[in-house]
Amino acid sequence: MKDEALLTATNVTRTFGGRGGCRDISLALWPGEVLGIVGESGSGKTTLLRTLAGFDRPDSGHITFHLAGKPIDLYGMDEASRRALMRTEWGMVHQNPRDGLRLDVSAGANIGESLMAKGERHYGHIRKSACDWLARVEIDPARIDDNPKSFSGGMQQRLQIARVLVARPRLVLMDEPTGGLDVSVQARLLDLLRVLVRDLGIAAIVVTHDLAVARLLTDRLIVMKNSEIIEEGLTDQVLDDPHHAYTQLLTSSVLSV
Amino acid sequence: MTVMLEARNLKKTFTLHNQQGVVLDVLEGVDFDLSSGEMVVLKGPSGTGKSTLLRILYGNYRPVAGSVRIWHEGKMVDIVGARASLVLDIRRKTVSFVSQFLRVIPRISTLAIVMDPMLSRGIQEKDARDRAAEMLKQLRLPERLWGLAPTTFSGGEQQRVNIARSFVAPTPLMLLDEPTASLDAENRDIVVNLIESTRKAGAAIAGIFHDETVSDRIATRSISL
Repeated sequence: MKDEALLTATNVTRTFGGRGGCRDISLALWPGEVLGIVGESGSGKTTLLRTLAGFDRPDSGHITFHLAGKPIDLYGMDEASRRALMRTEWGMVHQNPRDGLRLDVSAGANIGESLMAKGERHYGHIRKSACDWLARVEIDPARIDDNPKSFSGGMQQRLQIARVLVARPRLVLMDEPTGGLDVSVQARLLDLLRVLVRDLGIAAIVVTHDLAVARLLTDRLIVMKNSEIIEEGLTDQVLDDPHHAYTQLLTSSVLSV
Repeated sequence: MTVMLEARNLKKTFTLHNQQGVVLDVLEGVDFDLSSGEMVVLKGPSGTGKSTLLRILYGNYRPVAGSVRIWHEGKMVDIVGARASLVLDIRRKTVSFVSQFLRVIPRISTLAIVMDPMLSRGIQEKDARDRAAEMLKQLRLPERLWGLAPTTFSGGEQQRVNIARSFVAPTPLMLLDEPTASLDAENRDIVVNLIESTRKAGAAIAGIFHDETVSDRIATRSISL
């Protein structure tokens, strides 16, 4: 891992009319690192993720992205440049695959679009990459021309991940990537994500309420409650030696099978 | 002999906020040193903090006070309060922790599990595969099991998968928390020999073994907590 953070947030606050959201959040993400954000519903996890991702402007505070050694203030730039940056350097995996896919075009086109956004124009190359990526996320490449509407939820989620990762983003943001999937698909998907993150050396932020997912997928963990960060550390430190009362409650409440 | 680890004045308490705020004092003023080529056995009855000490040395538990300095890439680095990415780097290259339990992703094959730490250290896939197979053979895990996920394996088989994963490419510093707990005598001997040869090859090892015959046989030094 390099010495310079890829993304830093400084005193970021975004509330909804003074209520909810996230408050005074500071964090840094290093290249190749997977950061988990855990906490109960309504603790501000998704708000924080959307703010970090460039979707929602914070009420106060700064988010800085380091591009080729140069710091860029994410919300200090104009909308068009921010969108361009998000399209080329970033990928967002939504909780609901329907938010991240285009359901009225084929699976292959969903993957190909990401490549075209990065400037690829050769149809043969695009189609070949799409085939490769379908295979990597364990979808039969023969279904490349099928519409994702005809896919199961688990397949749609894997397609969404292929669509995001094909563009080789430097940063991937995931909101409950395994939520709503049955457990057998979850295990497969987790391993896939873990291997892809390792092989591609990308950095990721994963929001989840599932501590088992956090343990498998993340290097470092942030625990949120009532819009604030109450504890952070290496994932195994936070889960095995939790200090805050709420984290202790969270880790001792997990059912084991 | 290189000094691989130097822990000073460790103090650890656990505050159980949800159980009447009880405070457990587990360690107080503990010093611990470990050099390459040494096998130090931690002794003492249950509950004296042996596992807690081992976990602090790995950076898993966070001590209230004290320092844990580890020889990492040519210098001593204090892992207490160190940046997460540094601790992760130290764990990838310098220190590993072997517990008695195998914790893995469901549905991933045994061979892949053993290869995994090598792949994350950048060893080529082909090489990693050969070495993993060699190690599983040495630990006498039948080849028909290699393609299966270990969830359904017996306790002893799972433990050997865990040992294979940790010893196939040993780090200079190894922390063992009862790695032989559920092995039969024959398999235990194989693992003990593996630990011995890893130590003789220069690793610094600290461990907890409840089996006296094992600890007497492999210890070059022992300390009581």
